Amino acid sequence: MEMAGTKSRLTWAVNLAVGFLVLLWIIPTFGLLISSFRDRDAISTSGWWTALSASEQNVIVRADVPDNAVQEGQVWVVSGNVFDSGAGDVTAFGITSRAPEAFAPGEVAVHANGHEITVGANGDYRIAYAEQPSGSRGQRLFVRAESPPSFTLDNYREVLFAEGMGKALLNTLTVTIPATIIPILVAAFAAYALAWMEMPGRALLIAGIVGLLVVPLQVAFIPLLKLHNNIGIGKGYIGIWLAHTGFGLPLAVFLLRNYMAGLPGEIIESARVDGASDFAIFRKIILPLSFPALASFAIFQFLWVWNDLLVAKVFLGTGEDQVVMTGRIVDLLGSRGGDWEILAASAFVSIAVPIAVFFSLQRYLVRGLLAGSVKGG
Amino acid sequence: MKHVMYASAAALALTAGMAHAEGELKFAPGEGAFSWDSFEALKSMDLSGEKVSILGPWLGPDKELIESVVHYFEDATGADVEYSGSDSFEQQIVIDSEAGSPPNIAIFPQPGLAADLASKGLLAPLPAETADWVRDNYAAGQSWVDLGTYAGADGTEALYGFFYKVDVKSLVWYVPENFEDAGYEVPQTMEELKALTEQIAADGEVPWCIGLGSGGATGWPATDWVEDMMLRINTPEDYDAWTRNELPFDDPKVVAAIEEFGAFARNDAYVSGGAGAVATTDFRDSPQGLFASPPQCYMHRQASFIPTFFPEGTEVGVDADFFYFPAYAEKDLGKPVLGAGTVWGITSDSKGAQAFMEFLKSPIAHEIWMAQKGFLTPHKGVNTEVYTDPTVAKMNDILLNADTFRFDGSDLMPGAIGTGVFWTGMVDYAGGKDAGEVAASIQSTWDSIK
Repeated sequence: MEMAGTKSRLTWAVNLAVGFLVLLWIIPTFGLLISSFRDRDAISTSGWWTALSASEQNVIVRADVPDNAVQEGQVWVVSGNVFDSGAGDVTAFGITSRAPEAFAPGEVAVHANGHEITVGANGDYRIAYAEQPSGSRGQRLFVRAESPPSFTLDNYREVLFAEGMGKALLNTLTVTIPATIIPILVAAFAAYALAWMEMPGRALLIAGIVGLLVVPLQVAFIPLLKLHNNIGIGKGYIGIWLAHTGFGLPLAVFLLRNYMAGLPGEIIESARVDGASDFAIFRKIILPLSFPALASFAIFQFLWVWNDLLVAKVFLGTGEDQVVMTGRIVDLLGSRGGDWEILAASAFVSIAVPIAVFFSLQRYLVRGLLAGSVKGG
Repeated sequence: MKHVMYASAAALALTAGMAHAEGELKFAPGEGAFSWDSFEALKSMDLSGEKVSILGPWLGPDKELIESVVHYFEDATGADVEYSGSDSFEQQIVIDSEAGSPPNIAIFPQPGLAADLASKGLLAPLPAETADWVRDNYAAGQSWVDLGTYAGADGTEALYGFFYKVDVKSLVWYVPENFEDAGYEVPQTMEELKALTEQIAADGEVPWCIGLGSGGATGWPATDWVEDMMLRINTPEDYDAWTRNELPFDDPKVVAAIEEFGAFARNDAYVSGGAGAVATTDFRDSPQGLFASPPQCYMHRQASFIPTFFPEGTEVGVDADFFYFPAYAEKDLGKPVLGAGTVWGITSDSKGAQAFMEFLKSPIAHEIWMAQKGFLTPHKGVNTEVYTDPTVAKMNDILLNADTFRFDGSDLMPGAIGTGVFWTGMVDYAGGKDAGEVAASIQSTWDSIK
């Protein structure tokens, strides 16, 4: 009994800790999601956590221009409503920046120039001039108002319907699919050879490949592009497929070799005894058994290539037919990269395809990752 | 009957073709105050089938602007020009030219980078007569020639860079109506500016919004402050010597300039959010305080591009305006102006690239952008009547009234300083480190790369 009690308390502690960590991880994503529905001014003036509830805010509204004043008896009047939507709740107003909350709604404020200004609780304002006013610059009204949470779909509209975005999506697929399949093909063969074919120096070769995992890919950009230019590939899709293949191979070979080395040797030996060639063993036994490892590497490689901007900038040309989605999104951010709202929205747009891939392949992911770490029988 | 049909088909094709051409060109040739004769002159070059690729740092709306200029070149010569922008231009141009697949023309935001590439032999020198042309046709022509002249791979100096599009940095942005409400006047001298700063603080308000945050480039807005201050307390010769390190970074003259910046930025009462917020506020967000209700600050010193980051709907000239960051009346250094500009260089020589550089000299290449927005030029041959935006014309006046024009010093220093320790040093300084110490550590880095 006591043992069980301890266990359940421990389980509770683990569950709570996991729950806490998940929450911690989700908060930034959640904030990004909310930001993606806000406009730029809102993002730069207040935090996303304030966006969910109604808040009192001081805003500056420019009244209609004096040129549009209409005569009402003795006075000339400019009128309108301070709220874009026509509805809202004013709690205070002012007519100078020094005293933005000087008057209660309905009170009459007298401007230094003599005209009388009043703002009602519903946002209706009325500016009365003694003589016909002129000017193309409306009076500033400082209003403290209860504003409901406001969200917009404009950011998504801008990202999704930006010029060339559809083409960029196709370009990204053109890069991603071959750049995922080619390394898997090559790595599967290599992994089989390294796991099950006796040859001199095999251990050294494996060590060399593991060593390549720590080489940062940035150091290879200039020499690789130089090579592409010299052998006539230049900048283009073939170049980027080769580059992604090269950059992905060390991890792929390492992951697949460990998995394949863990497969039961008896099956392979009996197949050999039955006269199967290495190719037949690879195709008929190893490949079907390694599916979880192949799938988990495919997810890794797909996500990495999909999200890549750097390699695409280096190895692809800059024409319309070669700009990938990440590149197009960077374009939207503007020369100085201040457009947060676009970044937030595009994060959720570009995440959609990888998420679909992940969920369709995820059941292989855990199996594939664990495989190789525990010797199976 | 048949003839008539052919004729109308031809007419239709003709008008369709014309409509297409006009759709691309922002301003119809022959109309307005533009120098159309320089556009017509371009037509003597036939570049059909010639491709010109251009790589630059401009994206988004800026990209549309440069493309609107490029269309005129394409229309007149028949060449096919492809502009592409990159947010990591500085890295990309180095990779591309070292690997042997550079664009034809590169647009450098900093002359330092262009000089680097020239010294590796990756830039093609401009034709010999270009230097004379710049000397004759640009205001303060010799200084533009000097800024574009670098040593090549073999050490001989030649003109590699051509300046097109200039920015003025010595500007202070403010909201005129907030000044009116509070009864403040636009200061004409640095003494008045300091007095105004004190007065605003004494009124219980906050005079300045300063933000240095800029991702990996955090600190650069402070380098502009220091450069502006250098020009206001020291001679232009000192400034030039400083950018070449002939005047060491830890010289008392430089330390004094850093402290002049600190007089504004390190005083809790002078900066929105207190001195501690300076280094952490993003420069793109910092002007927002001007437009808050009640205002969080009254002034913001920043270059001519900053209205991009004003709240949506802000009209420059009405809702916000700027004045010249003034000079000390007592120091007799005239009216110095700090600026920057983009340098165009040929990274892969071709007939089309040469022709395009030739096009940049024509007034029309400047006027098309001037007539839209945010374009300043030292070209004396352009018709300034095409400015539609009075604020830009006012900026050009500041440029033309300058007694001294100096290029952004951090762009002239070696990369490790100008885009490295100068930035981080300024962040340290804003965070409370001693000016002398910061200057000494920047100097020691400079010594180590010599």
